[in-house]
Amino acid sequence: MTTNNKNTLNVHTASSIASGTLSLTADVIVIGSGAGGAINAYELAKQGKKVIVLEAGPYVPSSEFKEMMAVAMGKLYEEEGGQSNTHGDITVLQGKCVGGSTVVNAALCFRTPDYYLKKWQKDFGLTNLTLETMVPYFEKVEKNLHITPNAAHETSAGAAYIAKGLNKLDINIGNARRNIKDCALTGFCFSGCKTDRKQSMLVTYLPWACNHGAQIYADTRVTKINTENGSVTGVEAEVVDPNTKAKKTHLNVTAPVVVLAAGPIQSPIILQQSGICNSSGQVGKNFACHPSLSVTAMFNTPINDSHGATHSLYVDEHTLPEDGGYLLLNAIQEPVEASFQAEPGTGKPYVAYMEQYRNSLRLITLIHDKNVGEVTFVDGVKKIIYEVDDHDFDAMKAGLKYNARILFAAGADHVYLPTSNKSIIQTEADIDPVIDALKNEPARYRYTSFHPQGTCRMGADPKTTVVSPSGETHDIKRLYIADASLLPTSIGYNPSETVYALSSYIADQIIAQNYR
Amino acid sequence: MKNTMMNRRAFIKTVSVITAAVASIPSISMARLLTDSSKLTDEETLIFTKILAVSLPTQDSTLVDPNTLPVIPTLEGALLAGMEPHIRQGVRGGALYMSNEAAVKYGKPFHVLDDAQATQFLDEWGDSDAVPQRALAMGLKKLVLLAYWAIPSTWEPIGYDGPVSDKWGIPKLGNTPEPQS
Repeated sequence: MTTNNKNTLNVHTASSIASGTLSLTADVIVIGSGAGGAINAYELAKQGKKVIVLEAGPYVPSSEFKEMMAVAMGKLYEEEGGQSNTHGDITVLQGKCVGGSTVVNAALCFRTPDYYLKKWQKDFGLTNLTLETMVPYFEKVEKNLHITPNAAHETSAGAAYIAKGLNKLDINIGNARRNIKDCALTGFCFSGCKTDRKQSMLVTYLPWACNHGAQIYADTRVTKINTENGSVTGVEAEVVDPNTKAKKTHLNVTAPVVVLAAGPIQSPIILQQSGICNSSGQVGKNFACHPSLSVTAMFNTPINDSHGATHSLYVDEHTLPEDGGYLLLNAIQEPVEASFQAEPGTGKPYVAYMEQYRNSLRLITLIHDKNVGEVTFVDGVKKIIYEVDDHDFDAMKAGLKYNARILFAAGADHVYLPTSNKSIIQTEADIDPVIDALKNEPARYRYTSFHPQGTCRMGADPKTTVVSPSGETHDIKRLYIADASLLPTSIGYNPSETVYALSSYIADQIIAQNYR
Repeated sequence: MKNTMMNRRAFIKTVSVITAAVASIPSISMARLLTDSSKLTDEETLIFTKILAVSLPTQDSTLVDPNTLPVIPTLEGALLAGMEPHIRQGVRGGALYMSNEAAVKYGKPFHVLDDAQATQFLDEWGDSDAVPQRALAMGLKKLVLLAYWAIPSTWEPIGYDGPVSDKWGIPKLGNTPEPQS
């Protein structure tokens, strides 16, 4: 096996792959190059295994990042940023590029709360995932990805205002922990970090995997996982020209071990396309997504919240379900995002709103949601079937009230709710009546989801779950899953560190089961 | 007009595609080629131009006049061209449906309503009890506003300075060294 040791990527793209049919062999195929895929690629390549990574998205080096959200959506995101539920009122954002969502996320990290580890032990038989077991994995990824609390200067002008409100209300301020090294405070996490400060897979685990010989095939979409006598044998894939969308090459890869890490939307679709792993009937079901709404506050003075740390602070006093089920996060925003996060009224009210862009900031309410959705793939059409549950909407309303109170305490003159109709809270006294009147209706709110999860859930019982506690699917031997589709319940916090740690754990299980 | 009218029943059948299309399209991919299938018809151009005009009445404001910017070409070449064909068809069908519903209410299609009527129409649909109407009001406005704000020359009047890494001279860190175990 060749190793490059140059700490660069061995990437093949549609432009460099020959037309026709290409057949390859490997020890391990990894489907997806995001958090779960990259970590497994590195850990297994480091064992001396020949690893091939297949990534449906393009390879975009950080030098080509434009620091413009609208352009990034077109180049780096699934469905060019247009992926949504069937009602169209929840935009489901995922990265689709080499490095996956880690390239475009805000780098905010939380360890999986012990509350959920205990719940998964009790309700899903995941007695292996104790805090004692997981802590070394948290520590490992925190070290490798430079997950550290924001330094004092790693903040933003808007966060400083929100902190004033939190202090006034005597609410604890959570200091963000992020996988960022020496943040340049540009505020372009969602557009990709042009100067490589964010420790995404693109600049960490993927080049490290390539140091040990891993090969990455970008623009390569897996269409089928092959099996024989209950064991995985390889995959079929197609290399697609990213410009014309035309299939260029048919790729056949054989390997005795496959790690599926295409993400919580694509992983169940690949299983459905392959017609495997669904003896439980749970593939694609149990979808959750942490719906979030941005509340925009307008001040009587310029805030200039367009650069700085993308996330600086959070409020999690009510994040566990029994405490309310909502998490608050600050986030800076550029004009493209601000332009559709509020409805001041068509025409002159909207113009006045955008003229005051500099005076605005946003605070996000994100809810822990029930796993009530489903991802299907029928006749070539993907559907994310999901409506916000009524009980979850009550949690959202409570979170919006809390959010608005903080913004008024911070000095907001008025506050916009992200609705389809004009919805402005003019005074603190109006918070309860305005939010109490909100109804849980489709196409009424401007939801965004950054955290799809749950569609191939993990558990001990093959009758009710898709993946065993080790990460291997119940139905197919040596087919492992390592992405957020594993999460048996939503966790109310950004799940990236959970996926990093769980993927590291699964890599160790693969090694123990196959190579020792 | 009749040729382009979308049957109400047909529209309702495809409403989920249309609402999904118009409610969640934030991408601008400038590299797309404008094909016949993504190019707006004359009537569609009139509808989107009217939505743009009433959404951004910039006279007496500091904002850049959208008539001086390539907003509709951006909408065509960057937004519509990048959509999946069935989504793009849904957006276009939704725009025509809205225009036809305006004709039912006012006796004339959306693009010839006076600005006050068109503004009121969009606001009423944004607060409608009907899911498709809310989705269309929210989504079609979002499309044209996104096409406007994606153009960098719109940013200066609102005090946004755009990309900064090169301007600030921030050095690239490159790939992080592999951990030594």
